[in-house]
Amino acid sequence: MINEVFVYVGEALVLIGVFCDIAAAIGMLRFPNFYTRMHAATVGTIGGAVVPLIGVALIALGCDWLGSYRFFLAGASIVAGILIMLLAPVGTHVLAQATHKAGLAPKKPLLFDHLEEEQRGGKK
Amino acid sequence: MKKSEVCVIVSIIIFIFSLAYITSLGGLGYLPPVDVRKLAQIYLSSTYNPFEPTNTSSGYESVTAIVWDFRGLDTFFETAVFYGAIIASIAVYRGVSISTKKKPIGMSPIAKTITRLSTVLIPTVAASIAFHGHLTPGGGFQAGSVATVVIVLIVMVFGLRKVILKGLTKPKILLLRSLGLVGIGLTAIGLVLAGLVIGVNAYIFQNQAKPIAHISYPMWIDDILVGGSLLLFNLFEFVAVMAGFALVLMLFSIEEEEVRKVIK
Repeated sequence: MINEVFVYVGEALVLIGVFCDIAAAIGMLRFPNFYTRMHAATVGTIGGAVVPLIGVALIALGCDWLGSYRFFLAGASIVAGILIMLLAPVGTHVLAQATHKAGLAPKKPLLFDHLEEEQRGGKK
Repeated sequence: MKKSEVCVIVSIIIFIFSLAYITSLGGLGYLPPVDVRKLAQIYLSSTYNPFEPTNTSSGYESVTAIVWDFRGLDTFFETAVFYGAIIASIAVYRGVSISTKKKPIGMSPIAKTITRLSTVLIPTVAASIAFHGHLTPGGGFQAGSVATVVIVLIVMVFGLRKVILKGLTKPKILLLRSLGLVGIGLTAIGLVLAGLVIGVNAYIFQNQAKPIAHISYPMWIDDILVGGSLLLFNLFEFVAVMAGFALVLMLFSIEEEEVRKVIK
């Protein structure tokens, strides 16, 4: 019983991942500027990679016929998921900060730029 | 759709199809007959063979066994060539010092925090690759290359001056690299030295006992397959490769002004 629950919840998480990946792909093509496209890429990494990895771990835990290997699979998936969750946002953050500092990407559809205000405030 | 986008899509499709075609092809002409593959059987049966103690390499991993046991001398000279290149690049940068007068700047606190975390995580992965080199794919060189990533990250995120201020100076890394190289050399001639002391036959790069040389490195330590000299070679190679790569990468990230002071 509990195994089936694990498998179904895991499959649901993988499906959420598929949806996030498709949304991220559409966003990458349709969003207007660099920063919003970066948001789409983050949806792809967190929603489309971390969530399905946790789902894979749950599916592996639910599969009795894998024997003790299911713990290896689950552990590796969860560790990989946590690592991606820690490292990918930092990469995005550093990239966005560097782009903002160098002024490489146009900040066209933008309502409020807190970072620039802070930097100008710091210069005063 | 723009013309360039169409070109990109078409090139991706052509690339995938050609990749599939080449992998399905396997090779040109006829495939080698089955008896040629007996070489593979010989490798596999002499990599781990507890029933024939004089014909085993004491690890499960064929590649590590071939690299550090079957053709150990060849790998030793490959390592020597690699360190020749590293020594040459150190010689080019001779006399260039890294000034620590200015304060290190570094990136944002978010990047620094996560880099602090990964300075624990990445060496753990590298050490597991090195310690498991005789059991699973991997080995000393791969582990050293993985561990180098940490140095690159620290130099990029915290700044080179911070690395120097923390005490990871050029002489220390050189010492680490030399320790690794001396370890590889001593492991290679270890059994010969032991044979001289005890007064029995032994070969250089010998791992397990041979018909007329009866001493060997320990294959098992308390139920754990340690792989004799394979584990030692992997560990020392790990240290040496990590230190060598780290040194070259740190030298490459010195500012041009500092280098110009010495090389005019």
